[in-house]
Amino acid sequence: MSRTAAQWAAPPTLPATHFVDTRLYTDEGLFREEQEKIFRRTWILACHESELAQAYDYRTFRHPAGPSLIVVRGDDGVVRAFYNVCPHRGNVILCDPAGSARAMTCIFHSWTFDSRGNCTGISRRKEGYQDRLGACDVGLCSVRCAIGCGGFVWVNLDDGAPSLSEFIGDALGSVAPHLQEPMEVFHYQRVSVRTNFKLWHDTNSEFYHDYMHYFNRVTGMRQPGYFARKYELFPNGHASVGSMQVQYDSYEGSGARAIGWSGLAPGGWLLVDVFPGMTFNLRTSVLRVDTAIPIGPNELVIELRGLGLKKDTADERAARIRDHNAIWGPFGRNLHEDLLGVQGQGAAMSDETTGAKWVLHGREEGSTIHDEVGMRHYYAEWGKRMGRVASDPFGDRIESS
Amino acid sequence: MSARTLVEDLVYRGCLYLDARDFDGFLGLCDPEFRYTVRTFSPEIRQEMIWLDHDLAGLALLFRNLPRHNSDHALLSRHVTLYTVDAGQGSSRAEAVSGLQVFRTTLDGGSTSLFAVGKLYDTVKVEGDQARLLRRIVKLDTRMLGIGSHIPL
Repeated sequence: MSRTAAQWAAPPTLPATHFVDTRLYTDEGLFREEQEKIFRRTWILACHESELAQAYDYRTFRHPAGPSLIVVRGDDGVVRAFYNVCPHRGNVILCDPAGSARAMTCIFHSWTFDSRGNCTGISRRKEGYQDRLGACDVGLCSVRCAIGCGGFVWVNLDDGAPSLSEFIGDALGSVAPHLQEPMEVFHYQRVSVRTNFKLWHDTNSEFYHDYMHYFNRVTGMRQPGYFARKYELFPNGHASVGSMQVQYDSYEGSGARAIGWSGLAPGGWLLVDVFPGMTFNLRTSVLRVDTAIPIGPNELVIELRGLGLKKDTADERAARIRDHNAIWGPFGRNLHEDLLGVQGQGAAMSDETTGAKWVLHGREEGSTIHDEVGMRHYYAEWGKRMGRVASDPFGDRIESS
Repeated sequence: MSARTLVEDLVYRGCLYLDARDFDGFLGLCDPEFRYTVRTFSPEIRQEMIWLDHDLAGLALLFRNLPRHNSDHALLSRHVTLYTVDAGQGSSRAEAVSGLQVFRTTLDGGSTSLFAVGKLYDTVKVEGDQARLLRRIVKLDTRMLGIGSHIPL
């Protein structure tokens, strides 16, 4: 039976932990608060160390809290991060997404900086500043930086936040044994989509949407072991999903995966969601890692990386690229479908007068694959950090709150 | 007919078939040895990437599986300008380079946006008055393709 507008707007008859007010995905004020209370204070995956293979290699990174960062491997081999801002007049120092620079030079007035963040040159310093200001007074602003979880470079804007290992805890325990060998990024793609970052992370945090993916239905859902996959929850909002043996040859033309992954059972598939917007997705022959970079409440950039093993032969690498592209490339079967889904949510929710008022996270199936416990766990952490209740963030929609 | 005329007709006809989602029509323009690849260079990881790579059978299967998937149904319109055609005297091969722009028009016809820009590098088999696509490499300048596409460019 269809519902009236009043019924549509009424809270669901589920526990308040089992649904979310959709203003979480559309409200500009909440988004700015998330940047401050979540993104500015948590560890964010900026790149992989293989993108900084040599001394002086750098990557620039648009941090989800807003600022542009430089991640650079120093002359001493240490990877460091800095705000990508010249201390002189506030210009961006490095504009390219990647490169190699012994000296990082601000084009505006030619101030230079080394790979450790020291200022090494102030044009006509003596004439202009005499002895009032020296290079030692104007180094770059450093950002906490750590390498971990398979050689990924993580940054944290909060100098007082717990360490990366404390933040991750045991969440990556299922994939960690498979991330011991050096890896390389072979696929890098940025996707821009009109949706909220949490909706993307939700999609990575629930497998019920396998109904959207024909590929996953025939290779997974219809196969033994699929409904036995279980969620495991970890402190700080992280969650992982257990493996199964994916039957790739059940998709016409796919064939069984020619290669696998170090220590992973044939056809194996492990997934870990890291709060607030990163996912490690180890699917048989490829590790895909997502980083959500929200630009606004309904504007998201996702960085997608595909990784293989550094020791790959040319044939092995080609096989991984093929496997990756079949489902996760820009023309792949599943990525496009996932993006269609979250774009549709973004479009429908952007109109608050007619869009959904609530999103349900109510499935309970003993923490198995179609249980929505992963999302509930995420929003519990979100609420803790935001000091709000996800089902009623403004305290104005549920009478009892 | 000159090689250029034959290649021109082939390239433009191929675009019309793909725009119309007449995949059989497009495959009919291809040689049995046809291979199709989408490539682009990532300045972020400083390497060339392959984003799609199929032989004729693989491409045919991709098209055949399309109805089983959820896809964006917005229209893609290919605007191609054939720049150069190089064919040696008496050669049965011609190399063609074309500029490619792909526009996406929403289903309500309300807006058209630029989806991708790149170039087509085609190798064409020319025999008498017949031309067949032997190799197509799509080199994309655009790397942010929105929600992507299930349909090759």
